[in-house]
Amino acid sequence: MSQSVEFEVSRELEAFIIQEAKLADEGQYLEWHDLWADDAVYWVPLKEDDDPAEKASHLYDNYSRLTTRVKQLNTGNRFSQVPISGMRRVISNYEFFEQADGKFRVEANFYLPEYSIQSTHNFRIWSGRYTYTLSRHEGGFKIHMKKILLVNAIEPISTLSFLI
Amino acid sequence: MALNIDYKHLIQADKVHGSLYTEDAIYEDEIEKIFYSSWVYIGHESEIKKTGDFVARDIGRSAVIMVRDKDKSVNVLVNRCAHRGNNLCNEMDGNKRNFSCLYHGWVFGLNGDLLDVPYPDGFTKDKKDHGLQKLVTDSYRGFVFACFKEPTVSFDEYLGNGKKLIDRACNLSPEGEIDLTGGWVRQKFDANWKMLPENDTDGYHVNYVHQSFVQVIPSQYNEFVGEESSNKGVIRDWGNGHTEIDFAAGYVNCLDWLGSNVEKSKSYVDKMHQAYGQEEADQRLFDGPPHSCIFPNLFLAEMNIVIFQPTGTHSCVQWSTPMFLKGVPELNFKLLRQSEGALGPAAFLLADDATIAERAQKALQAGTPWCDLSRGIDREIVRPDGVKESRMSDETSNRGFWHHYRSVMLGEV
Repeated sequence: MSQSVEFEVSRELEAFIIQEAKLADEGQYLEWHDLWADDAVYWVPLKEDDDPAEKASHLYDNYSRLTTRVKQLNTGNRFSQVPISGMRRVISNYEFFEQADGKFRVEANFYLPEYSIQSTHNFRIWSGRYTYTLSRHEGGFKIHMKKILLVNAIEPISTLSFLI
Repeated sequence: MALNIDYKHLIQADKVHGSLYTEDAIYEDEIEKIFYSSWVYIGHESEIKKTGDFVARDIGRSAVIMVRDKDKSVNVLVNRCAHRGNNLCNEMDGNKRNFSCLYHGWVFGLNGDLLDVPYPDGFTKDKKDHGLQKLVTDSYRGFVFACFKEPTVSFDEYLGNGKKLIDRACNLSPEGEIDLTGGWVRQKFDANWKMLPENDTDGYHVNYVHQSFVQVIPSQYNEFVGEESSNKGVIRDWGNGHTEIDFAAGYVNCLDWLGSNVEKSKSYVDKMHQAYGQEEADQRLFDGPPHSCIFPNLFLAEMNIVIFQPTGTHSCVQWSTPMFLKGVPELNFKLLRQSEGALGPAAFLLADDATIAERAQKALQAGTPWCDLSRGIDREIVRPDGVKESRMSDETSNRGFWHHYRSVMLGEV
């Protein structure tokens, strides 16, 4: 069972997520990587209920692969993000829950126009639902899971080498 | 339409013209000649195991359904009601007893026959003449191909050496079968579809497009970067537009292609030994899967199966799914993660290929450029069986694709 959290705590969680989004938008890869816990799952499934042991996802990173992803972006030769896409995502419609294990679950909608400066020079629109699992860590939080369910997840999607 | 396209001029032995990627008239001509008049890959029988199981695909401009019939045969039907043209089935996959149209309730069987018309008194025509359009189909080791028209080339002749490539994939399973149940990831490219088969068997770009991958990810591909002279990979034109990069000669150990070894994958190795004997099994486990394109739209992408889907002159979609091996489900988790790592929109490899293709597509629209494909033309060899081979970095595979493409577009095959 999960329950709603105190208003002050929800403000802290929201501030953390805003910071995470800013680091992703700006390509501050190492700082973004520092937000993750060792049991990280960074996941863009095709369908909400897919079992990653049976079905392929657009993206399913554990901590090790997420670390590799950041390293690749930081080579400066990850051409699908050279230069980094123009991004300023908007996150809204937050819901905050505290789980029985003391972790927080935060769900929110997002809208992310991506300017693909390195390829077509077109805007690409990404939208969907973020679900975070977070726990307190040294006055801040760590991310255990970030699941990104795109509204068009089962459709063909464009290059997703930026941090969504 | 397309009467004045001079394919002999646009496709030469050592170069192709940029307009082949950018002209709408050429795209329309390809849809008619390649996707509506020749054999194309549809799907795999393992995707539709039970009666009524179906998957949706897009071929040319048409949506089709591949479905398992009551007699266990496989039908490929156009996903469009024979009455007023509404699409019958909006799901990507599922199971149905029959296909019924939401518009006026016409019902079609799994073989496409028209079974029922509501208020039948007003419809006096013979139902037999109003079934769904059904494609000519054939299959090899579960790989289903189809043709919209009565094909001018037999299935065996079309597939040709492609059978050996499919064999190489299936032979990695102790039961001799692959199993495509991992779901399809689909990646959109703002580029012409031909850039997919070209790039997927281009052994020359790895050092450049994928340098960030090589820098941070130790993998079997490390044997195939660096100096050209030390790269033991082989590029091959198998004929009929089927092309390949063969990595086998460059592998150092058994199971390099899986990023594994005989200790780590003991249960798999044991099953292969039991099925094929030690010597034969070890050879298969050393050589690994094919990295081969079957003209026009199938890519045997090592431990993945890939479909190319043209969606317009300047856009296409690459479908990918992990190639599970029947009898070895313990590999599935690894194969899923490897598939996501290599192919698909967020992959360490394909994301960068897409960007390069999209930049090329944009650049080719300016002026009338030629693309050079001469690399290795003077050093490739022709084997006694007609197959052309050269160094992995040579453009033998791309020349093979274009040579066959030209024959198809000129109506020679």
